[in-house]
Amino acid sequence: MLRRRQRAAGPSGAHAPRHGDVGEDRSLTPAETAVLERLRAVLDTTGLQAGLRTGHFGRATYRRDASFLNADPLAVALPQTIEQTAAVLRACREHGIPVTPRAAGTGLAGGATPTGEGGARPVVISVARMDRLRELDVANRRAWVEPGLVNARLGRAAAAHGLRFAPDPASQLAATLGGNVATNAGGIHVLTYGVMSQHVLAVELMDLEGEVHLLDGRAPEQGGLDLRGVSVGSEGTLGVVVGACLRLLPAPPAVGTLLAGFPSLEAAAATVAALVTSERLPDAIELMDARAIELVEGYAQAGYPQHAAAVLLIEYEGLPAGVTEGVATAARLAAEHGASEVIPAADAAQRARIWKGRKAVAGAIAKQAPDFYLQDVVVPRSRLGEMLDAVVAIGEREGLTILNVVHAGDGNLHPFVLFDRREPAMLERVFAAGHDIVATALRLDGTVTGEHGVGIEKRDFLGQVFDEDDLAVQKAVRDALEPTRLANPDKVLPTTVGCLEARMVPEGAWV
Amino acid sequence: MGVTATTSWRPTDTDEVAAALADARAADQAVEIRGAGSVLDRLPGGDEPTITTRGLDGIVAHVPEDLIVTVRAGTLVRELAGELAAHGQECPIEPIGEDGATVGGRLATALAGPRQLGAGRVRDWVLRVRFVTGGGRAATAGGVTVKDVTGYDLCRLMTGSWGTLGIITEVTLKLRPVPRHPRWFATEAPDPQVFRRLYRPAAVVTTAARTHVLLEDHPDDTAAQAAAAGLAPAESPVLPATARAALDPAAVAGFLAEVGREEIGPDGTLEVASQDQLGLCHLDGTAGAIRTARAVAERHGGRLLVLDPALGVPAFGPGHGPGPLTRRVAAALDPDARLAPWRWER
Ligand SMILES: Cc1cc2nc3c(=O)[nH]c(=O)nc-3n(C[C@H](O)[C@H](O)[C@H](O)COP(=O)(O)OP(=O)(O)OC[C@H]3O[C@@H](n4cnc5c(N)ncnc54)[C@H](O)[C@@H]3O)c2cc1C
Repeated sequence: MLRRRQRAAGPSGAHAPRHGDVGEDRSLTPAETAVLERLRAVLDTTGLQAGLRTGHFGRATYRRDASFLNADPLAVALPQTIEQTAAVLRACREHGIPVTPRAAGTGLAGGATPTGEGGARPVVISVARMDRLRELDVANRRAWVEPGLVNARLGRAAAAHGLRFAPDPASQLAATLGGNVATNAGGIHVLTYGVMSQHVLAVELMDLEGEVHLLDGRAPEQGGLDLRGVSVGSEGTLGVVVGACLRLLPAPPAVGTLLAGFPSLEAAAATVAALVTSERLPDAIELMDARAIELVEGYAQAGYPQHAAAVLLIEYEGLPAGVTEGVATAARLAAEHGASEVIPAADAAQRARIWKGRKAVAGAIAKQAPDFYLQDVVVPRSRLGEMLDAVVAIGEREGLTILNVVHAGDGNLHPFVLFDRREPAMLERVFAAGHDIVATALRLDGTVTGEHGVGIEKRDFLGQVFDEDDLAVQKAVRDALEPTRLANPDKVLPTTVGCLEARMVPEGAWV
Repeated sequence: MGVTATTSWRPTDTDEVAAALADARAADQAVEIRGAGSVLDRLPGGDEPTITTRGLDGIVAHVPEDLIVTVRAGTLVRELAGELAAHGQECPIEPIGEDGATVGGRLATALAGPRQLGAGRVRDWVLRVRFVTGGGRAATAGGVTVKDVTGYDLCRLMTGSWGTLGIITEVTLKLRPVPRHPRWFATEAPDPQVFRRLYRPAAVVTTAARTHVLLEDHPDDTAAQAAAAGLAPAESPVLPATARAALDPAAVAGFLAEVGREEIGPDGTLEVASQDQLGLCHLDGTAGAIRTARAVAERHGGRLLVLDPALGVPAFGPGHGPGPLTRRVAAALDPDARLAPWRWER
């Protein structure tokens, strides 16, 4: 396994004979040569806007997503149409070359990292250039989109008609809707609105023969097996999402936001439990710990209480009386659980400032540490306090700075581990901490990923979440839907048992 | 156990479910999976070997502060609702009509109740499913947290699978606080577009006489909404129950218009209540009228389910037949077609 990755990741083959491809810096198998030939016939190969990139630099930017796992693809295809996409997939299929679907590359689990089984080099197929809003159907409150459309762009288009698209991952300014479908993305307001799948009415999934299947869930029942549901979150392993029909909701007439500071993490966690069992569920409950507060205050001046051990950001949306009542209840519950400060947003500007702090975390970290490793685990909400304590202890033990940013209402933790990769043996400590965080979540009846996906990073944990029969059933479904085994192989389902640490550690040069 | 046409099994745990399937396999029999029969009793058939889930009974765990409940599949939805209500919580997938459905059956058919408009689909409330595949494997999909992208979403695959892929034995559901102030209202005349004057109503049902609206908000908000939309307090609507047509919501208006124009035979009668924004129409009528309605629904890309065997119209129409991908998935989980292979042919 280790050896295989080294081959895929390193600039190997530098001395190998060239196969006529200008700029070719590696040796190619006959099948690879043949597939590149086919792709050249379909995609433009020249200029900055080239639709096919086979050279060293063209490939380099597609070695990884936002995780640390990277590998060298055979080529990068950037089709602009469904027909080109089909031609690329057919060519790969006919020559037995794997494909790695990719959109914006903001994924955090290595899902878009081009690894293949047995060291095979995949063609990265980027959907980024298929980015049109095909139809904004205001009357029926839905939108047909191409996969490369950026999440926030749909939000803006919908807002012009008093509508909104609910899934709001923190990466929404860059992440695409195709990527959101493929990962079943979450976000801040999924507590009451649900994750991506709840907002996907239909998926157009292209198989490796280039055929598009409409997986339709627009009718409320009698729709046959929910293959739409299976395709959402399938991380590119069932084919390429080439279109989707997404549900839009009316923008809420009223919004109420509350910021509460607490003297301890326990008090904040207890408030979350009280909110979740209160008579009206808030639409968002986010938690940030002292380190996160300190960091973003210096960066975004969001007005967070400085000496608090934790803050909660609580939001209610909907009709005005309900929102007012919700905010009052939340303020009371926070006070009852020892909140030192309770600050309701007086107006839209203050609300925007409060959220700016939350959304600025990744940016603020970039100012503080050269690298961060972002984890994603979930525990039942009643175990949140325990889990937060454990994360703190793990950071102390490994001597690492870990910030906690939590979708608290969902029990979904995002510990950020701050580090500098140039420090000796640092990566081992970072990954050891990550591993312990995941193991702790499992021990508390939680799971290994709540929204970022399995990709490569979490793949070998699946054997701890599911037993052999569970995985056999998962595999049977995957193979039934994607019998060629060429769509993002090596992802989601474990291929062999064990060697966890080895796979967590990135190899080769970092781009 | 010798298998005859009337054999039935009442397993009380997963092992017994697998054993029942093994018996059926040994006798080369296909089986029907039966909950409380609230839907099956309204389909043709009834004398096939049956595995009933009623022995898989009871609530396994309810942690109110997690807003989730784990329940065995044969538990009645109303029993579950009672336990949840005692804690001020609900899972808004109430049974259809008055009959006592089981939780497993509710999931397997995934028929939509009126509140699915505001609360989302049945599939959106399912966090974990334990099941035994037709091939005899006991498996779990999903987990007991509200967010989980670990592996393929087979919970959604099992929801609405109509007993064809596996036998659901246990289910974990997401919960929410019970709305404290549900109130039905109605317009003076039918007006499905009243929906546009309301913010996310819980349910909207249009009958021949009026449009009924369920509001579940704060009483002050509900009063303001009702006044602005011209709604008066009303009883909840009674829905026709002979057949149900499910369509893309965008196709409902076209379906209704065409059904109204079609020839339904000299003695034909047809009564329709529609949930336009949900994409569901409830129908009562004579056999010819229901047949006509099915043909129209299928022309509009929809499907029509008949829930009255006495009518003499097949329960499922040509549109319900599985497509190629569905066949492949079914063959993967139930390779010998052990589970209700007759499903779409009756
Ligand atoms: C700072 C930061 C914050 C983030 N916050 C959140 C958050 O709040 N919530 C959340 O859920 N995620 C979050 N993410 C993770 C990431 O943004 C999401 O997973 C997102 O959905 C990925 O979209 P993408 O377009 O970047 O997809 P990519 O990273 O390009 O791909 C992701 C996966 O989907 C597959 N894929 C992409 N497009 C297609 C397609 N068209 N067809 C088939 N498969 C495809 C890829 O193979 C890969 O497995 C965050 C990431 C960062 C860096």
